[in-house]
This record gives sequence, structure tokens and C-alpha cells, in this order.
Amino acid sequence: MTPIVELIDVWKSYDGVQALRGMNLEVRRGEIFGLLGPNGAGKTTTLKIIVGLLRMDRGIVKINGIDIREEPYEYKRLIGYVPESVSLPDYLTVEELLVYSGKIRGVPMMHIKERMDYFVKIFELEDKRRTLIASLSSGMRQKVAIVSALINDPDLLILDEPFIGIDPMGQHILKEMFGERVKDGKTVFISTHMLDTAERLCDRVAVIHRGQNVASGDLKDLQRLSRTGEDATLEEVFLRLIEEAKEMSMEKPIKEERKGFSIFFRRDAP
Amino acid sequence: MRIHVVLDLYIFKVKTFFGALRASKASIALLLLYTLSFLLGLFSFSTPISDAIRKGVTDIDSYTELLSSVASLLMVFAVSLALRGYTVFEYEQNLIFTSPIKPREFLIADIFSNLTSLLIFANPIVIFYVMIVHSLKLSTLSALLMLSSSILFIFTLLLLKTSLSMIKSLYGGNQVNTLILAIIVILVLPAAGFIADLPLEYNSLPYPSTFLARILVKSVYSVDRLTLDFAGLSFYFLLSVLLFLSISTKNFFPTTTCIPFVSPFDTSMRMQTLQMERNIKMFSRIGMLPTLNLGSKSLLTFLMKKEVIRVIREGSLFTIIFFYLIASFIVVATSISSSQTTQSLPYTYLVTFFVGVYSLTIPLMLVSNWRFSDIGSLWIPLTSGMDLRIMVNALLYSFISISSVVPAAVISILSLIYSINPIIPLTLAVSTSMIGCPVNLYIMVGFLGMKSSGTPSILIGLASMLLSVLLLTPTYILIFLGLHLSFGDVTSWLLTVTILAYSTLIMKLFSREIKRSISRIEL
Repeated sequence: MTPIVELIDVWKSYDGVQALRGMNLEVRRGEIFGLLGPNGAGKTTTLKIIVGLLRMDRGIVKINGIDIREEPYEYKRLIGYVPESVSLPDYLTVEELLVYSGKIRGVPMMHIKERMDYFVKIFELEDKRRTLIASLSSGMRQKVAIVSALINDPDLLILDEPFIGIDPMGQHILKEMFGERVKDGKTVFISTHMLDTAERLCDRVAVIHRGQNVASGDLKDLQRLSRTGEDATLEEVFLRLIEEAKEMSMEKPIKEERKGFSIFFRRDAP
Repeated sequence: MRIHVVLDLYIFKVKTFFGALRASKASIALLLLYTLSFLLGLFSFSTPISDAIRKGVTDIDSYTELLSSVASLLMVFAVSLALRGYTVFEYEQNLIFTSPIKPREFLIADIFSNLTSLLIFANPIVIFYVMIVHSLKLSTLSALLMLSSSILFIFTLLLLKTSLSMIKSLYGGNQVNTLILAIIVILVLPAAGFIADLPLEYNSLPYPSTFLARILVKSVYSVDRLTLDFAGLSFYFLLSVLLFLSISTKNFFPTTTCIPFVSPFDTSMRMQTLQMERNIKMFSRIGMLPTLNLGSKSLLTFLMKKEVIRVIREGSLFTIIFFYLIASFIVVATSISSSQTTQSLPYTYLVTFFVGVYSLTIPLMLVSNWRFSDIGSLWIPLTSGMDLRIMVNALLYSFISISSVVPAAVISILSLIYSINPIIPLTLAVSTSMIGCPVNLYIMVGFLGMKSSGTPSILIGLASMLLSVLLLTPTYILIFLGLHLSFGDVTSWLLTVTILAYSTLIMKLFSREIKRSISRIEL
């Protein structure tokens, strides 16, 4: 089956600083996929390239098999995106924003209203429907941004650090909602620093370091790859992989592929 | 009091204030441009002033009165700032107020950093002072006297403003407001007396502004008989020092008000967004009346309505109305004063001139405010897969509508009052909107696409205004011809059609370019 997200040798630099150095990634349909990595590893850059907020220098990104360079707009109808630091039009009310978000995605008004009613109730925003966004707390804004990303019932929901700033109750609702979407065959792609949450929530994860995918797979794959043992937590696995990646980054490029997971190490820029 | 702490804090504050200059080389260029343009103006001023003084001025008192009025207005401005209470920047609240720094240490560093910024911003005036001293060949004593009295006056202002702001923050309430307002009224009297006939000669009363004015004017001629004036000014300075010393030990940190901008060179979008958020909260009380029609069928209409709602809720519309109210007031006032002279200007000229001037600023303001309020949430349309051409059209059409409708309403009212033909001013207003809005948006989107977020809005505004004026030149020429050659009805309509056709061409051209540039924006 065609993966919903596929990144092949993606490079991106900002003012001469390499953010991505040949990123390879595969997200399968109907899974919760976690992108893990230390600060500055390239998580947000990867997500922004996928949703079209940044242009890659080279490489291929396919969403549902469509090359986003060849078709840069239409694929976005499949996506719902929530950035790391949520900034919304403060001058709109919650309801107006959700309608705006749905309209520009071409969602019929009937569906916008249905989904708005449903998600506003789920995320306990009912009494805020006619409140100006400027008057909401940052946690509330985060919830509104999530509902806005869900308004087109996207096949692929991409969230950058979705749990930051949301209260425990909200986090619980979010996790439940992720599970429901996966049951419906949809995909959830998150980036997070919260390794314990990722361990419980994600079907598969990718650990990235300095703009490269160090390892990806489910927890068992990563435990095997990192040689941390069957009882190792994701945190222990993560720390080992990053440590190894730091050591390996000075050595020659290695590419190793095994069944169920893959591991890539840094290749020098041409 | 720990002097080294004050010194460190002072250096830190000055570095923070001017640190924003490092965000872009363009800011430095802008500061140089500001100094040069200011200097050119002052240079043209200094020569006739020096000549007049050399030839011998008979009426020294009128010069003293004028200077005293200006100085008293400066005092009014400084004291009126105290009505907001003590304002600090966000970093000061988070970084400095959570450290063991004492209020007086902070206040002294604050006063000296304010003085430094003031002197740097007022550098053309300092250069002007040097030019005057040099061209009049003033004695060292006179020059020193002028300089020291000016510095003493500035310190008095800063100390007074600081102390009153603290009183307002610490005690608040109507009594403090009344006190500050009373001081403002007392201080404004010399300036008021200069304009209107008041029962008392306030400029001869012992105001600090009067003392300063006397020292500055008299020291040009002779340094004699200045002791009393200098003593008077020093008395006010000591009084303000005493007031400051009595209040500066109080812990006012928890009562301060946070303001978003660190300096005029601050290009941080977060700060600009914060300011916009405040505006929205203020204006939304009125702006909540119109709401987005959820049932709008066409996406273009829906997005245009959204823009109109933004302009109402963030307060831009009220600013535009306010702008035109001022313009109308100026037109009416000018027409009254010119009707009293033998050479009165035709009303059409006046209306056209003011519409021309004001219309140019409206597109700039609309586009700048769009940047501040929507750049943060631009990720929503950019990740939606929508046709961005619709977004650009919605922006342009709503901006053009807003910037045309308000002047059109004002022109219509003025035309009715003065029985003038509104066609020429109306054509100018519409043409300015049709050319100004796409040009401003094009420059703004271009800057965003180049990731020049470090460029101050004022520079973007300057570039937009210059290009707008350049492209509006044919319109201005045709309007000028229309006014001077007194065309008949048919020719006037032909002129209007030509101008509108030209404006449409420019609008189409730029809107195509904006659509190209907007897809290049990376967030």
C-alpha cells in the first residue's frame, strides 16, 4: 500500500545552515506516527516542508503518492495541520475561525457545522463559540487550532508538539481522538519531546538527529536496533540512539536496512 | 545604592534599545536617512535665524515667548505620559523586576537610558545647536550656558515624568488623575497664551519653560542678568530631584504597566502582534456588531467580509474615519481663513489636495495592519490548499473598497456644503486606492517572501509610499490639468475614465505579481 507520507533524500538549509541532510521517512496509512528528536534536529522543518510552509532545497516528498512539487496545492485538502506555536486571527470569534478554516478548504457548510458542533463539544469549547480568539488563553487557542485542523476531516492530521500548553483533561481528549481517527483508517503524525506519551501513543516512531532519520520503527525494532534490551523504555532507546548518532556523525556514512525498520546515518553534503 | 549595578543596568537598557538596529542594516540606513533629512531642514532654518540675529533682533520678547511656549508644550507632553502610570518593557518585568535590584537603582538607570536615547534621537537638534553656536561665533560661556540649561530642563522633565508616573502607578485613582491633569493645565498656559489672548501674560511668569527660554535667547546677546533665570531653572530642577528622592524608594515594581515595543527599531513580530491584540480587545466592543455571515456562498465574498470585519475589530476603520475627520476639519478651517483674505483658494483645490494627501496613507495603514494581525495566522490559508489568487483578490478588493468609501463619503458631504463638483477629488481618491493598495501589498508580500522580517515596518512603508507616488504621477498630472484647464463636462469625464483605466491597469499588473510572490512566502 502507498505510504501516506514519504520523504526521500530531503535537504533543507537556512542561511547556509543545514537543517535537513537527506531526510528519509515513511508514514503508513492508519497509524499514529511520532517524530522524535532533540532540539534543532529538524522536526518542525520536516513537518513544515510536508504541509508546504517551507520549500525543500532538494529531494522528494510524496503525500498519498502525490509529489508535492508537481501538485503543490491539491494534496493539502487531505491534511490538517497544527503548528508548534499556534497563532490565530485574534479578531475572529471561535465559530468564525472554524467556518473560515472549513471554507478555504472547500468543505461544504453543512459538514462545517456538523464537525464544528461535534468537536467544539468534545474539546469543551461550547461556551467559547462566540468569544474572540484574542480573549482566549493559550491552551484554549491550541484546542481551537486542533478543531480547526479537524474541520475538513483530514486523512492525515499533522501536529507539531500537540500536548504543550494543553491541560491534562485536554491531553486525554486529544489522545482518545487520535485513537478514534486511526480506527477510521486515518493517520496521525505528531512531533513530540514527550517520550513516555509517544511510547504509549504511537504505533511507530522515527528518531531524527541533525536533519537525518537515525532510526524508525516500532518500539521493538528500536530496542533491537539500539541493543538496549526488550525491557528498555523509549526514553532509554532514544538516548542510546542519539548518543550513537553523535558518535557516528563523524564517521563514514552508513545505511543499513532490515525488515520492519530502517536506519540511516549522516551523509556528507555534496 | 550600588553604582556598578546602576551602570550595568544602564548599559543593558541602552544596548537593548538600540540592539534592535542589529536586526537589519536597513534600520541603520533609515536612522541615517532620518538624521540627514532632519539636518537639511534644520540647516535651511539655521541660516535665516543666524542672519536675523546678526542683523539685530528688536523684539527679543517674542522669541522668548515662542521658545517658552514650545518648552511648555514639551513639559505637557512629558507629564501627560504619567497618566498611563509607570510603563516598562516585558523583558524588564521578567528579567529585572525578578532580580534583587532596588527601585531607585532601576529608576536612575532608566532616567539615564531615556536621556541617552533622547539625545541620540535628537542628534539633529544637537548638530543644529553646534551650527548656531558656530555661525554666531558665540562665546564658550554662552554656549555652555545654553547647553547646561537645556540639559537641566530635560532632567527636570524626566524626573517629573518619572515621579508622577510612579505616583499614578502606586496610588492610582481619580485624585492622582486630577492632580496630573491640573499640572498639565498649568503647564499648557504659556503655550495657550501665545496663541490666544489670555488675561495673564503667562510667558512672563516664573515657569521652568520661561526660565529656559530666557536663558537661550538672552545668552545669544549677553550673558549678563542671567543669574536669576538660571537660579529659577535650578530651583525647579532641585524640586523635581526632591520629589524623585522622596518617592523612588517605594516598591512600584508590581504596579507597573507592560508595553510591547522595546524601541522604534523593534521588528519583533511578537511585539507587534501583542500591540494588535490590545487594539482588538479595545475595538471589538463595537466591532462585534457585524459578524461573518456563515452562509456566504462565494469564497471571495466570504474572505472580503472577513477582511472588513478585521479592519473594524482591530480599529483601522476608526482610524481612517478619524483621519478624514481631521482632513475635513483642515479643509473647513483653511477655507474659512482663506475666505478672509483677498486670495481665497477654490474649495475644489482644497478638497482635492487634502484627499490626495490623506488617501496615500490609508492603503499603507491597511496593509501594515494586515501584516501585524494576519502574518501569524498566514499558515492557515497557506496549508489549506486554497487558491491563493482568491485570497489576494479578497485582500485587494476589500482594501480598495474601504480606502475609497470613506473619502468618497467625506468628499460627498464637503461637495454638498460648498456646492463643488466632486468628480475630480473622487477620481483622485479612487485612483489612489486602486494604485496604493496593490503597490503597498506587493511591497509587503515581497518583504515577507524575502524573509526580511527584520526590516522595520517604517522602512517598508517608506518604500511603498515612494513607489505609490511614482506610479500615481500620471494621475496627479491629469488631476492638475483638470483643475487648471477647467474642462467641460465631457472632457472631465474622459479624464476620469482615463485615470481609472490607468489605475485598473496598474492594479491588475500588481495583483498578478502579488499572486506570484505570495506563494513564495516561507513561514
